[in-house]
Amino acid sequence: MNDKPRILVVDDEPQLTRVLRTGLKSHSYDVRTAADGLSGLETFNDWHPDLVITDLAMPNLNGLELCRKIRAVSPVPIIVLSAKGEERTKVEALDIGADDFVTKPFGIEELLARIRAALRRAVTPVVNGVEPTLLQEGDFRVDLESRSVTVGDREIHLTPKEFDLLTYLMKHAGKVLTHRRLLAALWGGNYVEQNEYLRVFVGNLRKKIETDATTPRYILTEPWIGYRFNPSAE
Amino acid sequence: MGRTIRTVWKALASKRLLGYIVAVVVIAAATAVLKIFGGHVNPTTVALTLLLIVLFVATAWGSKPAVLASLLGVACFNFFFLPPFGTFTIAEPENWIAFIAFMITAITAGQLSARARRRAEEAEKGRREIERLYEELQAVFERASQTEALRRSEKLKSALLDAVTHDLRTPLTSIKASITTLLDEVRGGSHEEPVVALDPESRREMMEVIDEESDRLNRFIGGLIDLARIEAGELHLRRRWSAVDEIISTALARAATITQGHQVEVNIESELPVVRVDERAVSEVVYTLVENALKYSPGIAKIRIIAERSAADGMIRMSVEDQGEGIAVDLRERVFDKFFRATRDGDISTHKPSGTGMGLAIAKGIVEAHEGKIWIESATGGNGTRVVFTLPLGDEELTEESEHSAAVATEP
Repeated sequence: MNDKPRILVVDDEPQLTRVLRTGLKSHSYDVRTAADGLSGLETFNDWHPDLVITDLAMPNLNGLELCRKIRAVSPVPIIVLSAKGEERTKVEALDIGADDFVTKPFGIEELLARIRAALRRAVTPVVNGVEPTLLQEGDFRVDLESRSVTVGDREIHLTPKEFDLLTYLMKHAGKVLTHRRLLAALWGGNYVEQNEYLRVFVGNLRKKIETDATTPRYILTEPWIGYRFNPSAE
Repeated sequence: MGRTIRTVWKALASKRLLGYIVAVVVIAAATAVLKIFGGHVNPTTVALTLLLIVLFVATAWGSKPAVLASLLGVACFNFFFLPPFGTFTIAEPENWIAFIAFMITAITAGQLSARARRRAEEAEKGRREIERLYEELQAVFERASQTEALRRSEKLKSALLDAVTHDLRTPLTSIKASITTLLDEVRGGSHEEPVVALDPESRREMMEVIDEESDRLNRFIGGLIDLARIEAGELHLRRRWSAVDEIISTALARAATITQGHQVEVNIESELPVVRVDERAVSEVVYTLVENALKYSPGIAKIRIIAERSAADGMIRMSVEDQGEGIAVDLRERVFDKFFRATRDGDISTHKPSGTGMGLAIAKGIVEAHEGKIWIESATGGNGTRVVFTLPLGDEELTEESEHSAAVATEP
């Protein structure tokens, strides 16, 4: 029985998969690699990895299609490797449901940190059907029934929309959430282009939860992409 | 002086003053001449002559001088040629009819021809206007197409920039990932996750990746420089009389490490003449073709190099043939475009690392600088690709012309 987390690396650049295989193995991960989307998908179906790292531009099924196909059958964390100049594809991948991205070239420690965060999120038990009544992430404690919110030991009062935004962020802590995804989750599909709605609510929420709203530590901005919620500001 | 005359002339012509002067002078002169031969001319001849003058003035200077000519003509006709001579009175009633007929004809003809002249002028003005509009339109079109061409070349430039940055970043990504993996171990990992020490094998692998990818970066940059030289027309060939078999063996010696395990067959026609070429550049072309042939050939496939003299044009014809998948007919021109890669941009799928997308573009530049041609055919038997290029033998006269120019940078 092997209890090492399994990571599937999909990239058409053999030198990079070679480095990642060795680098990740030395950090006690079980690693398999694939050179294109199609063989990546095959390995995914046979091997059931705990996390997928994929390049975007690849022959035979690109990274975007791979994300879509995996997301259709599994909530496994997906980290996208993207280069500057691929922003649109990257955002599309995140819209589809990729969890995070790392920009090439990257240091191994950055990738490892993203892997740890993604795996941590993935092991949080998901209670099917029944919503938990208490959400607890880092400094945040939210009682979904009484709708009371505390940050650290400070109780704060939120409007219903701010409350929805905060709970959505908490449920997807650490993950990059695109503007489009947040808008669709909070306002519905007709509002996905209305970035200014989101900006206003994020601004208001920041004023209430951040100690200094001008240098936010909880709700982090991913420029041009969206937001990332970091529940324990350090 | 001449200029003053010209200005006066211009002023005269434009103000129709000249027309009046001519009208008076010519009518007077004609009257004088006709009067001298008075006995021999009848009044009809006089009238027709004077009418002719009126028409001439009208056509040349318009209606007002024509009116003057008419009145003057009428006066002279009456005074000198209708009896009783020397008076403005007319004795015979039939001469009254002739006089009035002449007067009406003169004035009407003058007006009509003046109008015709005006029409002609207007038509000319219209034509000039149309011409001007046409020229303006043409200029606008030209500017528009220049803008379009510029826009397209900008688009091409940014596509090329994307390709270049991708090719620079790919090896950098592997290098950075390897180095940080090694550094991570040296630093003892992060506090969250102590590193598991790399085994010597892994450590060696990381360093190999760094080594190989640095070479790849360097090759890529070398290729960029070659391409830039070719495009700027600064590919200076160091032409020398060279033997084809030597060129091929130089290329194969350089390719020794990559041809290992492959079967390379070389067919060189016996008694090939020597060619005046840049040996190093042409051997670079052969090397590129061999490298490509290996890259796209499965397993231990055979590669064939052929050199012969073309019966048709007397050029040297060299070809490199593989037994790979072949290249689709519609891609056979595009593979010579810089940064085009059949493996990435075409439909061929391979797990092997693709090249820089510059090899064939450089090869084409070198061959064309030699006034040769390069193209792709299907290999004999239908399977695989054959890349063919031709080289003219070279002229006796063109000796040592670029001996002092730098040769193309094609360091092995």
